[in-house]
Amino acid sequence: MIITLFNALLIVLITWLAYLYFDLREKAMPAHERYSKLIRGVASIVDCIEGYDKKHSREIAELAERIGMASGLQPEQLQSLSAAAMLHDIGELLLPRDLVKSGKKLEGDDLELLRTHTLLGELHLKAQIEELDEVPSLIRWHHERWDGLGYPDNLKGEEIPVAARIIALADAISAMNARRDYRKRQYSGHEDIIAEVKRLSGMQFDPQLVKNWVSIGCPVESGKK
Amino acid sequence: MTFRLQSAWLLEAVADISTVDSVFFPFIHRFSALNWLSRRDFSLSVNAYSASQAMLLRAWLDGRNGAFSDRNLQKFNQQIKNPLDLSLNPFRAWKDRLFDRQQLDYLFYWREAAFEIEEETQREIFWSAVYQIMSCWLSNRVCEMPVECRPDEMMGLMLNRHAEFIKGREAKISICNSSLEELPAEKTCLTVFPLIFGDEENAEITLQVVFDAWQNGHDDIEQAKRQMRVQLRKYQIDFSKPDDHYLINRLSANSKVAALIWSGLDLPPALYEQELVRPLQNSLSTRYQKSRLLMKAVDRTCDAYDYLLLFY
Repeated sequence: MIITLFNALLIVLITWLAYLYFDLREKAMPAHERYSKLIRGVASIVDCIEGYDKKHSREIAELAERIGMASGLQPEQLQSLSAAAMLHDIGELLLPRDLVKSGKKLEGDDLELLRTHTLLGELHLKAQIEELDEVPSLIRWHHERWDGLGYPDNLKGEEIPVAARIIALADAISAMNARRDYRKRQYSGHEDIIAEVKRLSGMQFDPQLVKNWVSIGCPVESGKK
Repeated sequence: MTFRLQSAWLLEAVADISTVDSVFFPFIHRFSALNWLSRRDFSLSVNAYSASQAMLLRAWLDGRNGAFSDRNLQKFNQQIKNPLDLSLNPFRAWKDRLFDRQQLDYLFYWREAAFEIEEETQREIFWSAVYQIMSCWLSNRVCEMPVECRPDEMMGLMLNRHAEFIKGREAKISICNSSLEELPAEKTCLTVFPLIFGDEENAEITLQVVFDAWQNGHDDIEQAKRQMRVQLRKYQIDFSKPDDHYLINRLSANSKVAALIWSGLDLPPALYEQELVRPLQNSLSTRYQKSRLLMKAVDRTCDAYDYLLLFY
């Protein structure tokens, strides 16, 4: 009798816990999706203002996610990676338009000013949206280089969080795949980009991430080889 | 010895307390960490912990030395077409342990070539480029990633990168050559201590050990490692001696503000507060009246935060 009563209580308890779990999941999932959609929306506005002809930020985010998954990032890290990749250039909105959209290669004070977009992006996001956790830090470091010669903090190697290293790689691949007026060298095709990324392994890029990128077939765009 | 010096964050935090007109680093882990600060409108002093670190700091951060000349580049960065005699190479014991055969040939050739460069500042730039190349080779080796860039091409790239790095730089940095006794003569406004804990081994330490051995012309990594440990030990924070902050007290004696920075990993912030911040506050309470701890999240999945502890 006691055992039966105990079993009944156990069943009630398990049912209650299961109800709580599904109820919580139902509440939590849409919040997560809403967060992703909101970030995507903001990123598309940034792209629109920046004058990109396609979904630039989303492309980089998806490429970064693919490299992130190949590198064994956890779901929470992937979420931050994706958000930071989509918003990585948000600081550029706070700079003069003629500077950001200048067709030539910048030098001196102009270059220094353009480089502050990493700090501006971080500062602004941190001040406005506390819930973004480490996303502002990743935005700060998306122009750091593996060899310590990037900016703004000249972090080197594993001092740079892995998600920021992935964004730097995805951003560079995307830039190589796009046309930029000031670039001396144009990349004629996929093979050219692969060769350049491999050449810069250990200098600009984390060699392990380059290896992981190679292992998934060297994508240069989201979902395409 | 993994930590991130976030210079803009540091200055922003200090700006609330005092105007910064000079900054002193009793220790810095890596030359490029000072790049941003060395381009600001205040004087910057730094103690190098070894002769080779002082050389790297001079080569990359002192604007007076200029860039490596094209004439020297053509003269001292030749392509090696045939393998050199390995028995003559003093670093042959490193073959397949640290570098491959071709890389060893270049390390041998570059070291000999460097001694042929007449101007010392030019020689130091050349050596510092080898440091960066070694860093690239070693990190690719750890990941078993083949190096696609030819050594002489890489040297050209690095020297080009160096020229870009120093462009527009003025000579505002003063470097003390591995001397802890010499404090800057003028009053230091801000003293910054990057904190290091225990005998950590990481890629940067390995690189500095190998570079030191290479520059000194011997292949004994263990000896170079021992020397490095001795040089670094005096800067290390020892958790087993929570009251021993003599060095920090002494070196911040001339400063209005002292900033201690470190990057935490795999330990919750509360533990750092208990084991490090409170003992430091006790030790420095006679020198400074106030203190403030700031933190920044880097990666919450592994409790990675950057810390900034200010005394003023």
